[in-house]
Order: sequence, then structure tokens, then C-alpha cells
Amino acid sequence: MAGIDERGVLSRRGLLKAAVTGVTILSAATLLEACGAAPAPESSGSGGSAAEGADTGKDIELLRVALPGSLSNLYPGQESGILNYYVAGICMEGLVGVDTSGAIVPALASKVERTSPTTYVYTIRDDARFHDGSPVTADDILHSIEMARDAKASPSTASYWANLDKATKSGANEITLSSKTADEAFGWIPSNVDALWIAPKAAWEKAKNQIGTAQSLLVGSGPYKVTDFAPDSHVELTRVDTWRGTRPKVAKIRFEFIADDNTRLLAWKANKADMSLNVPLAQARQWESAAGTRVVYAADRSYAGLTFNVSAKPFDDVHVRKAIAHAVNRDAIVKNILHGRGQVATALSTPEQFGGLWTPDQATKELAAIPQYAYDLEQAKKELAQSSVPNGFTAALSYPNTGPHLGTAALAFGADLKKIGITLDVKELPIEQWLAELNTFPPLSYMWYFNTTGDPGELASWFLGEGNPAKYTNATITDTMAKAGAESEPAKRAALLIEAQSAQAADVAYLPLWWGQSAIALSSAVGVHDYTSYTLLANWPEHLYAAK
Amino acid sequence: MLAFVLRRAGATLLLLLALSLLVFGLLYLAPGDVARNLLGTRNVTPEALAQIRARYHLDDPFLQQYWRWLTHAVTGDFGTSIRTGRPIGPLMLEKTGITAATAGLAFLLSVLVGVPAGIATAVRRGRWLDRVLVTVSVVGVSAPGFAIGLLLLYVFALGLGWFPIYGTGEGFLDSLWHLALPAVALALGLGAFVVKLTRAAVIRELDQDYVTFARGRGLSEGATLRIVLRNAAIPIVTSLGLMVAYLFGGTVLIEVTFALPGLGSLMEESVLFKDIPVVQALTLAVAFVVSAAAFLVDLSYLLIDPRVRARAVRR
Repeated sequence: MAGIDERGVLSRRGLLKAAVTGVTILSAATLLEACGAAPAPESSGSGGSAAEGADTGKDIELLRVALPGSLSNLYPGQESGILNYYVAGICMEGLVGVDTSGAIVPALASKVERTSPTTYVYTIRDDARFHDGSPVTADDILHSIEMARDAKASPSTASYWANLDKATKSGANEITLSSKTADEAFGWIPSNVDALWIAPKAAWEKAKNQIGTAQSLLVGSGPYKVTDFAPDSHVELTRVDTWRGTRPKVAKIRFEFIADDNTRLLAWKANKADMSLNVPLAQARQWESAAGTRVVYAADRSYAGLTFNVSAKPFDDVHVRKAIAHAVNRDAIVKNILHGRGQVATALSTPEQFGGLWTPDQATKELAAIPQYAYDLEQAKKELAQSSVPNGFTAALSYPNTGPHLGTAALAFGADLKKIGITLDVKELPIEQWLAELNTFPPLSYMWYFNTTGDPGELASWFLGEGNPAKYTNATITDTMAKAGAESEPAKRAALLIEAQSAQAADVAYLPLWWGQSAIALSSAVGVHDYTSYTLLANWPEHLYAAK
Repeated sequence: MLAFVLRRAGATLLLLLALSLLVFGLLYLAPGDVARNLLGTRNVTPEALAQIRARYHLDDPFLQQYWRWLTHAVTGDFGTSIRTGRPIGPLMLEKTGITAATAGLAFLLSVLVGVPAGIATAVRRGRWLDRVLVTVSVVGVSAPGFAIGLLLLYVFALGLGWFPIYGTGEGFLDSLWHLALPAVALALGLGAFVVKLTRAAVIRELDQDYVTFARGRGLSEGATLRIVLRNAAIPIVTSLGLMVAYLFGGTVLIEVTFALPGLGSLMEESVLFKDIPVVQALTLAVAFVVSAAAFLVDLSYLLIDPRVRARAVRR
């Protein structure tokens, strides 16, 4: 990007220093792998304001973004990593989208009406045009929905549409979706943060299940179009003039895929990028110390917690579960292992998912009303003494290699559990193997879940519903959750969700540990307004500006 | 000669078949579930999961799955990548160039530097040049490629700014410039290996009686060395053939470090994802290249050594 950047490359005189530090980096990387966390940064709390630096009002000709992974296909229905969502979201729209507060907002539909608990009527806006200049019609949208539901065209997201009964054209500019059961979460499905990306019918037909590849580039109605894509190398998006909204300041965005964490950090230090997504928390201090760099943290709506299979011994005994709950020092985990980059979780819903009703701070207060288990080893011993295994037992707990902090936390509370007689056998698994193990309902397991929508019931409806990973059943909770599913008044629904989660807390089938944060790095020449956990899912280039 | 070629081709085919069964079996047994990999930790209904499993025939018995793959593969249809949804042929083709260029460059570098260095050390056995080169090659053989890669990046790309940090570049010269560091990282280990092998082979020949005799006859050092090198060529060429296999293993780590979209990084991602069709096709392609290299090496014996030529003709 043109403009001044404080990050200079090292001088030749600094060569020796460079070589020595190179060795340090290597050994540090090995060390991090070994202990799963970086040394604690001195600061706590937020790592700098996102909107630092005055807005110069100038255009950004080229924004270079370093992505921590490789994209082979740009269509999230095929390859549905979070990075695919960030890229596709500024090119293709859904009927609805999301704003930075996490509320559902109109996109290609100018208006949504819920005429009955299972019927949603979308009025299609008449001023929307695809990148090729053709107008967006109800037929294009219906065809896109059909493609999104088709397991061949969208293998990753077709299953999200399971609750759709039918999609019909109910007027020249109107589409009606009806769901099989009343479910508040249904409203999120036709959005580009969940399972719908709208392209012209002709483009789908021409692509023949290959949309999103380098041969059939994405076509949409968003503010940017794909102008160059080399799978596993880079993708370039260019601002279009067919966009009906405010013209974003960034003319061109080039995403470079640099999967290796160390290489990406080197590229950043060499001033090869202006923005880097998902900065690994274990490396955050090295990023923060790079010249002209701001590392910005935001809650990422992730939930980390323990799941007890209540049908497996010895976790079928509520005293065992309560003993563990009392033995886990969640405050210490957040402070010492996450270095404050997270929040003690009191519920399955994250505070950021109550957008439109409460701010995250208000939601945190409301969720704190759910009964909690204080860290108290004496109490833990008493509970264990009342259980079927008063002398303790051994249990296995595995965590995915992509979340080393989960392992460090497990070792930390494992040490406390040892004091009350419970031996925790902690092991790391490749993410693929860990996912497969979750399918087998292990007696004790971690859940590390990234909520994709802003629906506060997203995780709760799974964890407290049928087929949940804890094999937990509670008739009262089932009733409450059914009411919450049909309730469309946000305040009443939130109250019902909290009621259900309070009832769950008494049984401790799930022990929430923390809500996570993730970080992005920005060069000093780029600023961002309203950076929240939703910004990258919304029309995010609109929030960027050239900073001074 | 023709019989020799046919016999070799038949053996190669059998090898490929056995290998495909082995790799398919290993991936089948490997932990993980493709359907889950597609969906992540998300909540899905058992029906949806079953639907995905059925689409990729994951619930069929092992031999049936293998047979389905084999019958398609013999017609040249290697199937569709589960992870990217693309047909495998074009997917592999567009990535071959980068891997072939990196591996080829590394091969050239290690041969052009390694063989002369090996000869020089053998001729000056025990002197300082020998000691220095042997020490350097021990370091080269023992250092892992990705660690060398990161060090090179830190010094030559970030520190000195002579080379780019990642990516492939556009146009011939720019691409060459982008591939230089990955090729050097790959060639360091390989070149060290070549130095050690060449040195050992040349020393063995230098100790033979015919060398003493040649020198006794009053032949010049240059003429003697020519005879020695011809005799040392067979073990050297054999080891170069083996290096082709090593090269492909090395590219996996190097391509990930340098963010190169080649076959190596494709292999890494596909193995982790259990994208069986891609892994199968890639393994077979690599096995084919290695077999072809071994075949070429065998043919080269005929050129190098008249004794082998005579035996082959007699048969």
C-alpha cells in the first residue's frame, strides 16, 4: 500500500542480530509447541484501540491482507472455513446479513416479515444488481437457495437447511420461506454469515457445481468482485460500481494465503501486509512488538467448556460433576493461561449473541445470574466424598492440536483435580481425530465451539436439545427450550434461554470455562471503525480507513 | 533390450497397484471422519451426516470402496477432491509446475555443487578443504529443511531483503527469484548427501590397484581421475535416482514454510482432511516419477559401464 509505514526492514548491519534472533524464533516456536502458550504480556485488557490514528479521508488503493490459511475454493458452501466467510461475504450477499452489533439486517431483501412462527416473507429490493450488471431477481434467489440446499453443490452447508419446508415465489418481488418447526435461529439461515450466497442463475448453471474455483469465479451483488484467484496462493477483489451502498474507501484487496505462523510473522515484519487476520494468541507478543503494528482484540463468540457424558460412569453421578466444577479455577485460567484475552464463561450463550437486545456488558451481567460453582477445593472434596467414587478415579481428556491453550488449561485444572484424587489423562489429538472422537460421546470431553450466528440459542439449542453430546435429558428444560424456539420477542426469548441454562447449571452436564477472543493486526496506516466480533462478517471494508 | 524394458514396466505396474492398495488401506484405517471434517464442531442431524457419508460411499466395505476407486482410476478418472469439490486431474496439473520447478532447481543445485565438491574432498582427503566441506555437509544432512528454510527467510528475505518471503511471482525471472530460497533450503540437505556419497565412491576407487598402476604407468593425474570418475559414476548415479524420492518428501515441509501452492502443500492438507482421492492420485504420481527415475538410472548404467551393456545384450 502506498503511504508511510513505520515497519522498515532490518539494515544490513543488523544482519548478525537478525541471524541470532532467527535462532531465537526457531527455538521459541519449538518451546511454544511444547508448552502450548507464550510468556505473559505485561499489559492486560485491550491491546489498543482499533480506531487509532486520524482518518485522512483518502482512498486506500491496495489493501494487502495476510490470511492464516489456504483457500482452495472461495464458495463457503463447498469450503466453509471462517476465512472463506470473510472473503465471500464482501462479494456475495444473502437475503439478510449482519451488522457490527450482531443484529440481522436487510441485504438483498429490503424487508423481512414473520407472518407466522414458521413463515418468513422477504421483500426483494429492486435496486440490486449483480457484478455483471444484471438485476437481482426472485428467480436468481430461489435458484441460489436450491443450490445452497443441494448436497452436491454445497456439501458443507446443505445440512443447515434441514429445517426448511419450502421456498416459494409469493409475488413479483417476494419470496416466502417456511420452516418445518418454529425456530428463532431459522432467520439466520438465508444470510451470508450462515448458509446462503446469492449468484445469478446463469452463473450457477455455467459453473456446474464448480462455483468458487479459479475457473468459475464467484459472482455476486456485493461491493467487491473477484478479479484474480490462484487457489492456495492468493485472491484479489476489486471494488465495483454496481454496489448500491456507500462506496468503501478500499479500491482493491489482495489476500495472500500464508499458512505457516512463523512465515506470516516474517512477512508482516518485512512490511508485506497491511492487515493480518487471526493472529495466534501464542504469538501475540511478537506481533505487538513489531514496529508500526496495532494488534486489536475482540471477543470471537467462541465457547470453551467441558462436556460430561451423563450416561457414562462415573460422570452419571451429579456429585462427581459438581466436584470437578468446584475444582476448576476459571479466573486463574483466563488470567494466566489466556493472559486476559478471554472472559470467564457463565453460560453456553456468549454475551455477544444478544445483539439488538443487550450490549455485551449488559449480557454479561444478565448471564451471571445463572448459578455458578466457585473454585473451592474443600467443597470439591466434600462433593466427591458423597459420590459413587469417593476415593477418586482416572479420566481421559483430549484437546485439538489447533487449540494448545485448551491443553495448558487442562493440565492446570488437572493439577487441582489431582489434589482431590481425580487423575486427568490429558492428550493432544490432530483436529480431525479430535472431531471424530467427539462423535463417539467420550465420558469427558472438551467443546471448543465458534458460534457462527448472533443467535443466543445457537449452542444451547444443540446442547440442551435432542442428540446432545452429554446425552443429557431434562423434561423441564426441553419444555423451556421449545418455548424459546417459538418465542419471537427477543427479551422474552432471552429470559427463557437463561432459565433453561440455569436449570442445566444445577445438573452440570456442561461446565462452561471461558469465552474466547481473537486478534487481528493492522499497520499504522490503516484504521478500522466499530471492530467487534461481527465486523469481519459484515461489509467490513466499509469500516476501514486510511489513517495518519 | 525390449524384454528388459517390458519386464521393468510390468514390475512398475505391479508396484503401483500394491502401493495404491496400501495407501488406501492406511487412510481407511487412519482416525478421523471426512464427513465431520467437512462440518466441523457444528451441530448436524444424524440424517445429514448419513447423507454426506452416503454421498462419498464412506459406509461401504473397504474392498468395495477400493474397487470403485480402482475401476475409475484405470480409465484415467481419479475422481473429485472431497475438500475442494474439484476434479483431481486439473487440480494436480496446476500445482505440478511449482513443485517440479522447485524440486528441479534443488536437484540441479545439489548435483552441480555436490558432485564437484565431493570429488574435490576425495582427491584432497584429510586436508583442510576436505575437513571443512565434510563438516558443512554433516550440518546440511542433519538440519531439517523447514528449519533451514526459516533461517534463510530470516536472514536473506527479512534481514537483507534480497529475496521475497513467500509466494510464486509472475513471469519466468520473477518466479525463479521467488523459488530461489525454497530451492536452496531443499538443496542444502540434498547437496550435503551428494557430497558425502560422491566422496565415499571416489575414495573407494582411488584406493584400487588400477589407480596405482595407472600412476605407475606415468599417466597424468587428470587422465587417472577420468578413469576413476567413470568407475565411481555408477554408485553416484544410483544415489541421484534415490534422491528423487527424498525431494518429494522435502517439498511438503518447504512448500508449507514458503507458502507455495504446490503438490507438497496439497498433500499435507489432503492427508489431514482424509481426502482419499487426492492422496491416492498424488502418491501414485510420485511413485510413478520415482519408478521412472529408477528406470532411467538403470538405463544409464548401459551408457556408463560397458560390462553391464555386454551382459544386457547377451541376455
